[in-house]
Amino acid sequence: MMIPVRCFTCGKVISEYYEEFDARAREGDEDPAAVLDDLGVTRHCCRRMMVSHTDLVDVVSPYQ
Amino acid sequence: MSAEFDVEFIERDDRSARFLVRGLTPAFANGIRRAMIADVPTLSIDTVRFIENSSVMFDEMIALRLGLIPLTTPLADYEIGETVTVALDVEGPATAYSGDLTTSDGLVEPADKNIPIIKLNQGQRLEFEADAVLDRGKEHAKHQGGVSVGYRHLQRVEVIGDRGEFDEEEPHILRGVIETEDGELVATDEFDNDLTNRYPGKEVSVTDVPGAFVFHVETDGSLSVEELVDRAAESIGDRAAELKDAVSV
Repeated sequence: MMIPVRCFTCGKVISEYYEEFDARAREGDEDPAAVLDDLGVTRHCCRRMMVSHTDLVDVVSPYQ
Repeated sequence: MSAEFDVEFIERDDRSARFLVRGLTPAFANGIRRAMIADVPTLSIDTVRFIENSSVMFDEMIALRLGLIPLTTPLADYEIGETVTVALDVEGPATAYSGDLTTSDGLVEPADKNIPIIKLNQGQRLEFEADAVLDRGKEHAKHQGGVSVGYRHLQRVEVIGDRGEFDEEEPHILRGVIETEDGELVATDEFDNDLTNRYPGKEVSVTDVPGAFVFHVETDGSLSVEELVDRAAESIGDRAAELKDAVSV
């Protein structure tokens, strides 16, 4: 649904970077790796949180 | 302690630092690490009273997300178990961010303002009042002030000769911080973690420096790095004093 607040493995707060990551790397055409480096998400445990997440709130929202 | 501690900072930021400590035993280094994770208390939302929640998430899911939001913690003003009231009222269409939270104490605020709590559509509303409680990482991981706290041995790199003429050029990967022959401290990311980049064509020996540890400390923003280390050391001291009192009675 929403991006988890923290990285499952190390506990770094990653959700605050997701909107920018989404706008720049998914909607935009920047290189995802470069965007993550730029945002300071350097560990691969945190990076997988961002890369593997799909926001489903908009899909779910009509049903409740 | 016979030897004095000698601390040298290699990197220092608001929320992360790397520093070298000399004169530590491995047991004490690990004690400090564990104290930073489990013994330094931080404020975190614990009880939530929902007034209205018409979002797509259940109350429990939102409460879990709220608990994980780091709150700045003025440790001097609070004792373990004391609470701060936090409130939020957001009406859709909007996203409720951690920055929308209001607290009863001006010194306590969300350390990060851009954490999305829940996206609300037209007609959806989220209103609640919550209690943030001061507790330790032992109790719940949401109270951990330190994130990925760890240490490594300081490694000393010495050039012992030239690489054999017909030897294969193999990468020599190292992580952490090295000490060169002139006593210079170099983080291994400076040469891409590969010693052959720094000493091309040389044969080097790598040895652990006894009693020297390089700590990497990162916080979630609820405390500064200095305060985290300070409090961790203090908690070990307090427990030692407690033991001393108990034994001497």
